[in-house]
Amino acid sequence: MPEERDVLERRLSRQDLLKLAAATGSAGLVAGPAGLARAANAHLAAESGRLQVLDWAGYGNDGGGSMFAQYVKTHPKNKPQFTYMGNEADALAKIHAGLKPDLFRPYVGWVKYFATSGLVQPWDPALISNLKHLNPYMVKAGQYQGKQYGIPDDWGFDAILYRSDKVKPKAKSWSLLFDERYKGKIAWYDDITMIQAAGLYLGFKNTWNQTDDQLKQTQKLLISKKHLVRKIWSSETDLWQLFGSGDVWIAYAWPNDWVQMKKKGLKVVYMRPKEKPIAWVGMFMLLKGTSRPNLAHAYVDAWSSAKSAKWLEDNYGYGHANTLARPSSSDLLRALQLTNLRAVTEPNAYMDRDIPRRALYAKTWEQVKAS
Amino acid sequence: MAARRERLRLDLTTPTLLGLPVAWLVVFFIVPIAIVAAYSFDVYSLFPGKHGFTLAAWREFVHSSIYLKLFWKSVKMSLTVSAIIVVLAYPLAYYLALSGTKRKYVLLLVLIAPFLTSYLLRVLAWKVILGDQGVINTFLFWTGLRSPGHPISQLLYSRFAVMLVLGYVWLPFVALPIFVSLESLDRGLLEAASDLGASRLQAFRRVTLPLSLPGIMAAFLFVFIPTLGEFVTPSLVGGANGYMYGNQIVDLFGTGFPDWETGSVLAIFLFGVVTVLTVVFTRFLQPRRVATD
Repeated sequence: MPEERDVLERRLSRQDLLKLAAATGSAGLVAGPAGLARAANAHLAAESGRLQVLDWAGYGNDGGGSMFAQYVKTHPKNKPQFTYMGNEADALAKIHAGLKPDLFRPYVGWVKYFATSGLVQPWDPALISNLKHLNPYMVKAGQYQGKQYGIPDDWGFDAILYRSDKVKPKAKSWSLLFDERYKGKIAWYDDITMIQAAGLYLGFKNTWNQTDDQLKQTQKLLISKKHLVRKIWSSETDLWQLFGSGDVWIAYAWPNDWVQMKKKGLKVVYMRPKEKPIAWVGMFMLLKGTSRPNLAHAYVDAWSSAKSAKWLEDNYGYGHANTLARPSSSDLLRALQLTNLRAVTEPNAYMDRDIPRRALYAKTWEQVKAS
Repeated sequence: MAARRERLRLDLTTPTLLGLPVAWLVVFFIVPIAIVAAYSFDVYSLFPGKHGFTLAAWREFVHSSIYLKLFWKSVKMSLTVSAIIVVLAYPLAYYLALSGTKRKYVLLLVLIAPFLTSYLLRVLAWKVILGDQGVINTFLFWTGLRSPGHPISQLLYSRFAVMLVLGYVWLPFVALPIFVSLESLDRGLLEAASDLGASRLQAFRRVTLPLSLPGIMAAFLFVFIPTLGEFVTPSLVGGANGYMYGNQIVDLFGTGFPDWETGSVLAIFLFGVVTVLTVVFTRFLQPRRVATD
């Protein structure tokens, strides 16, 4: 990887070489260039300090420890230190404001944005032994111009959850989120994916790149249907509470929400809309100029193992890119279609993707909420 | 010589005493607001690169009916809450201050007792009361006033819920300034009014009420200003319908895609309106003027 070499070159300045020569003493010099290279590697491998991870709440030492237990075991001196991100926009703001994490975890729709932003660098696939077990469609979605900028990890669908004892949908469609019959019993999700979902319902060919006119139509639809919405949820626990208390019967939801509500004894259906669900995938990204590239790779490798993957599926209810992992819950297995590698891509679902005019989409969505 | 030293000491006293609070105000209030203002003109920007002074976001704000409509909605909600709770809190404060009860400080303590628990907890408790399966609806089902399939869903995740919870949370704040102004009322004035033949109602209208007006004003502003920019309560109990201006500011800064420029415009506009209102209220509603009118 050229960037990797860049790092090597930058880090191995003349001063470093002199220091190395002194450290390795005459043995290094006697051993010649090969010995020096080995010494250099050893020097690089000894990256210092705690690994700085910018991640979502619940994925750090606040409960997500099992995901990187292997890393902590092998690198006890470089335990990860977490800063939490509320979402990608928040991460972007934090990085621009001067936070210097070694790696962070946006979702697949942001891969191109960050890859072209100059803030991140590609991973070295050779350093991630578990990469070969990760879902190839997700791995491909983590690439930009042939380079692996994102390493896929957790994933799920955006689709519709509803109470089958209360709701009789006219069709398996996103239209259920806009159904006048269920006024006050519907929950939307507080994210611009609502715009994509509305675009799918309106039948737009590329809902990720709507024209001005299409965006206007989408906004008009959402504003005109907002009076049906009880709550626009932003955290899953919110959604579970809404569903559990009977305040809401229909929601934009993830597979795990179906599993959780079923566990509560509610009669719920997780509907795959005929316009197709949207699949989201978490992507580890490596910050440019990080001083701990090797540690970051080791951390992501630990996250990518089948053991971590199964733990995530069993405890958090999301899917994991590792195809060897199987959750204990057969419901979750079914909801995520884990036996089908293509579940996240067409013709089954649309993988979430880059939104060229993200700022405009965001403004459009904010205006829906404000109207 | 001694006199001069005395004067010098006096000269130094004021800046020394005022220095710290002024510095505090400048560093933690004026400078941050100036920075937010700079963001609103895109002089500062979250994104690196070339940025120059522009009024684009301000122009869009003024021309977009959405933001101003949302602001007006929040003003109406805050005004309603403030007015209602001032009316509710006045008799309470009146009783505590003027009834002559010996236990007034104990009662005052009871009034502010809920503040010993977390704000979040108190707001969340309302969810249990107001939900479709909550205390009120369950009671209505039990009495047969509503059939179990048809709860009053307007109770939670609505404008009503936001106003109710805000009123509940701010009531003690309103009662306190009114209590203080009534407490410091010169009882002799009431006696004089009575001696001069005023009925109790007249005495209240002509003496007590005007003299407690600064307390009422302070109480009103105490509620109106913070609730106008409120975002926690609406995000917890407001739902899609109870969304307020403060929520939009938070969301512009934090969700979707960061738009600090528009967010700053909204924030500075709110700040401006609040400043103007405060100045107007404090300047033109001086108690003495009202009392002598």
